[in-house]
Amino acid sequence: MPLRRLFALTSVAFLVVLAISPAKNALRPYRGLQRKFAALGAARAHSAQQAREYAARPVAIHQIWLAELDQRVDRCTTCHLGVADPVMKGAPPPFALHPWTPHAPGQIDRFGCTSCHEGQGPATSEGQAHGTARDAGPPLLPVTYVEGGCGRCHATQVVREAPVLSRGRAVMDRYGCFACHGARGHEGFRSEAPPLSSEPVKTGAGWLRRWLTKPRDVDPNSTMPDFQLSAAEIDELAHYVLGQDVPEDLARRVRAAAEEPAGDVANGKKLFAEARCISCHTVEGKGQGSAPELSKVATAANRGWLLAYVRDPHAFNPRTPMPQYHFSDVESRDVVAYMEDEFRDFDAPADILEPLHVNRTLAEAGEKTFHRYGCPSCHGARGARSVEKFGPDLDGIGDKKAAFLDFGRRTDLPRTLTAWLTAKVDAPRSFAKALRMPSYGLNADDSQAVVTALLSLGGQPVPEAYRVRPASQPAPIPSGRVGELVDRYRCLSCHQIGDRGGDISTAPLTFEGSKVQRDWLVDYLVLSYSIRPILTERMPIFHMPREEAVQLADAIETLFVDPRVPEDPFQGRPASDADLVEGERLYTTLGCRGCHILGQKGGYYGPPLTDTGGRLKPGWTYTWLKGPQRWRADVRCPDYGLTDRDALRLTAYLATLHAPAVTAKGAR
Amino acid sequence: MAILTGCARPAPVKPAAAKTAPPALSYEIRLGRATYQHYCQTCHGETGAGDGFNAFNLDPHPRDLSDPKFQKAKTDADLADAIQRGGAGVGLSSLMPPWGRTLTREQVDQVVLYLRSMEKHP
Repeated sequence: MPLRRLFALTSVAFLVVLAISPAKNALRPYRGLQRKFAALGAARAHSAQQAREYAARPVAIHQIWLAELDQRVDRCTTCHLGVADPVMKGAPPPFALHPWTPHAPGQIDRFGCTSCHEGQGPATSEGQAHGTARDAGPPLLPVTYVEGGCGRCHATQVVREAPVLSRGRAVMDRYGCFACHGARGHEGFRSEAPPLSSEPVKTGAGWLRRWLTKPRDVDPNSTMPDFQLSAAEIDELAHYVLGQDVPEDLARRVRAAAEEPAGDVANGKKLFAEARCISCHTVEGKGQGSAPELSKVATAANRGWLLAYVRDPHAFNPRTPMPQYHFSDVESRDVVAYMEDEFRDFDAPADILEPLHVNRTLAEAGEKTFHRYGCPSCHGARGARSVEKFGPDLDGIGDKKAAFLDFGRRTDLPRTLTAWLTAKVDAPRSFAKALRMPSYGLNADDSQAVVTALLSLGGQPVPEAYRVRPASQPAPIPSGRVGELVDRYRCLSCHQIGDRGGDISTAPLTFEGSKVQRDWLVDYLVLSYSIRPILTERMPIFHMPREEAVQLADAIETLFVDPRVPEDPFQGRPASDADLVEGERLYTTLGCRGCHILGQKGGYYGPPLTDTGGRLKPGWTYTWLKGPQRWRADVRCPDYGLTDRDALRLTAYLATLHAPAVTAKGAR
Repeated sequence: MAILTGCARPAPVKPAAAKTAPPALSYEIRLGRATYQHYCQTCHGETGAGDGFNAFNLDPHPRDLSDPKFQKAKTDADLADAIQRGGAGVGLSSLMPPWGRTLTREQVDQVVLYLRSMEKHP
């Protein structure tokens, strides 16, 4: 063939090949979409000028470049053109305005799209961006689980505008997922499960077998999951647990307590009510629920153990949230007598607490079973200080590619990460034989919430500029004598001090010294009463000796102080009569009685103010009135925007209020 | 030519059906509900009927917010105004506090959305 002709043919072929790329580019779907958007915008525009602007928009790739967020590039807005455009409210997808959320559409330039929604930011075709095309990267988070995206940056336990995520994190905390599964930030997690060292002197095989069959059938408050054990495994475990050597100190306590005479049931009933056990425990389902259900406790544990435990719970379980009451020996006997009388399962067989004649072979098999199922992860191992995490680490589980997950027998599931996680949480052993994760019996909402929380565990740590960590607030708890008292009475089980403690009482104690009068506090510690009628939980009466109350109150007044609260808000100038009258008038016109009781009348929401002069310090009252949300953002008392003068007048009026003196115990 | 246009178009993977349906209430209404339950429910009640735990200590009783006549008579701006300025600010009882300094503008708008969803339908 002549060279000239060859050259002509190859040139034409070369030109044709060269034309392929521009042709493909001209046919890209986003170009058509952008033209459609321009037409839609022109139709929806508010003015002719705006319509012209829409029509004149060039067809181009749009991107959001987030330099501080790992140099991310999100090109989603190439198709999702109306995402931040108010004109596009209610437009058909993909042009619709993004619904209101804390970071979109308002701050889309700072957060982009993939930081919440996942997917492939740099892609410009739907299949690649959404992760539906073959070999595309990890897909978009389904909208149901979108709050998992919030959790990537928001590392706090509660994220106010992400209720599903917050719920998931709370469920994971309650059921102790991090006891077996490690994760960044949760290395120090310890389960609240009790040590099992005193089981042999506490209970019998009958009860233990019932418990191991299905814990929540025995105690609905329990967070122990169902291990779906066979009868043989239950038998082995019973022999192992009840065959352990009990520490001599505990065995002696239980023996001595068992030999004491029975107490007085009627007095025990009164003491039980005063002790406010249902502020944590439940009886027949009534109560707070973080501690075990008590209505059948005398069938779970024998009398000697119950008595020894009530006297000193910390000897049996150093990490229990239960306080040590200061009952006398007679009083504790009475309380246990009441429990023995009332709180038993009257249908249980008589030998349910019979001790077991332990078979050594079965006990050895039981020890293997005990370790095989990871029981030490929650219950602790004898002698070992810490146990290696039993389950796989959860770091990066939110970024796991579906192709790397083992679906095993579950061929019914769609091949996505979310489907796998949901199935794992709902039916952990359904994937293959001989899996060991127990089942938690979560309902659909909790299970969805947990999957959302899991999806927030990303592989890469988030850059500092974007991370939201819990604010650290030191807790001024001293060591020494006062620290021992705080530990013995377990104040932190119900009260927040700094960033530690529980939230059963809802009002933090961090600055209590600036808040309440010291003398009032001593009386209150000795004999507590209901401060906020709306709460069903009540502070227990510990039978605290007065000297201990004095030590605590003095420490609180000295250390639990907010320097922003003035010692004397009146600055040496006492209030005049006119100020007091004005203060009382303010009380009426602001409507405080809607929530607060004064004397005989008022609302049930906030604390009664009848004794404000005796209970609160005026400096604190004044600071509160100037901004009740200062110490805790979710306080319900509204901020009235009072001027300094009005706040002072109201403070002066409230400081004159004193309750009549209490003459008899419980007269209030 | 077919060879030169590159690889065949990849077969799309069907997106998985979500196991749990998205919640019935939108995100903003759920946030509004959370705010309502925290601040308003004790007086105005679980259904907005003005029968909350605290309602019977109050004279006048809290308004029945689910009443269709009331809902029709007030615009969203009226409702937001009453919430932010309180009862005293709109010429009614001071027992309804002003929330304008305690709640953000977004929170107030979300509560109004939730209030609209509480309207009793005959």
